[in-house]
Amino acid sequence: MIQIMVESDNNLINCNNISKQYGFFFALKNNSFTIKKSTIFGIAGANGAGKTTLIKILSGLIKPTFGNVEIGGMNYKENSRIIYQNIGITIDESFLYEELTVYENLKFYCNLHLIFEKGDIMREINKLVERFELTDWINEPVRTLSHGMKQKVELIRSIIHRPSILFLDEPFSGLDYAATDRLIKFIREMNQKKNVTVILTTHKTDLFQQLCNDLIILKKGRIEKRITDEEFDEIESLF
Amino acid sequence: MKTENISLKLKLKQFKTILIKDIKSEVRQVNDLFAVILFDIISIFIFSSVYNFGTQYQNMPLEIFMIQNWIIIFFTLIYIMAKLFIKEKESGTINGLISSPIYPNIILYSKTIYCLILMTLIESILYLFSFFLSAPLIGRISSIQVLTYIILGIILPTFDLSISGSLVSALSMYAKNKSFILPIILFPLIIPITTPIISLNIKLLQGVLVHDLIYEIGFLFAHIILMISILTLISHVLLYD
Repeated sequence: MIQIMVESDNNLINCNNISKQYGFFFALKNNSFTIKKSTIFGIAGANGAGKTTLIKILSGLIKPTFGNVEIGGMNYKENSRIIYQNIGITIDESFLYEELTVYENLKFYCNLHLIFEKGDIMREINKLVERFELTDWINEPVRTLSHGMKQKVELIRSIIHRPSILFLDEPFSGLDYAATDRLIKFIREMNQKKNVTVILTTHKTDLFQQLCNDLIILKKGRIEKRITDEEFDEIESLF
Repeated sequence: MKTENISLKLKLKQFKTILIKDIKSEVRQVNDLFAVILFDIISIFIFSSVYNFGTQYQNMPLEIFMIQNWIIIFFTLIYIMAKLFIKEKESGTINGLISSPIYPNIILYSKTIYCLILMTLIESILYLFSFFLSAPLIGRISSIQVLTYIILGIILPTFDLSISGSLVSALSMYAKNKSFILPIILFPLIIPITTPIISLNIKLLQGVLVHDLIYEIGFLFAHIILMISILTLISHVLLYD
């Protein structure tokens, strides 16, 4: 796998003047920012602020109406396959096939990410399924799982190919307290031990404090404020 | 600029992965397939009964038999098309496909072959029932002519329809009013091949030799090449834009 290179100033993702227009409505208006390598980058904002639109644009799922996104100096138009080998995405829509089992879904996405060695696939799937306590459900069709369990399978799917950037849109929705705690630990571990850059949105403001070291707050499609590491103590007062 | 070319072997593996996934999903929700087969059988039954009562003839002329079968096949195609991309779009799984390191034309080709497999399966049942219920007037033909008929009269046109079907399904998946858009785009694409397909089918079952059908076969091949070219050229736009 070709690894995404980081520019000399440590910026991994560059967003230049991003706008997204639906009809006459601007979901995002002229936003520019950078994301450094190995950070946990939060996107906050009220409902309808443009969080999901922004994370979908960053992960290449939708195109901005104006502006462009560069990941490691590459753009989605010319280098989509290299970028997609290096990113993992979990959004509000499920990428899982309801009729297939958990194992079949995960194997399918391994194959799409060019992992075909049976031993490698088995080992990786078993390791992650055990970690997320889904071992008993591995051979069950996805349609029989609860929302929280599906959310866990989605997370496993997004990291099974060992991405270096992880996009998580509302990853904690549908998870109980224990599962949320475990996911927080897992995200930290991915970030600290494997240097994975995480970009996440959530409406739970306390989680930004626990997880993020860089944060933007969106309001009506514009970046209202950017909060760096030092300012995180005052985060509660900002929402 | 860095580029990473995926070898042909890996492309074929990705193609096989998507195809097997689609077949597995289909087998696990077999009721949908049964519904289409039931629609085909009921349509054949109604066509044949109306013909028998209306004309008081037991055997259907070959021309009417072929028109009847291919009208049903065209309607079946619309249903199958909805399964190709529209279902993936509605369930959100299309995002999983397009956010994987895979060439868009591999996704489109595998969907085309999946459509071909489903259509061929449904057509074989349709033909079986239509031969039984409509009892068409067919002269004596050899087993080689039957084989030629299956390849040139059924599989070749079905392949053509499958390519057009995946193209239209991909084109309409992002449209808001899919059920309205789908036939509007599909019919201009498949109407030009309707006459050659029916003519080819009739003549093959009448025992006409292949070299006398060069215009029909040539037209079908030209249409297939045109559709494959369009599909390949706009594959990126279809899935990503």
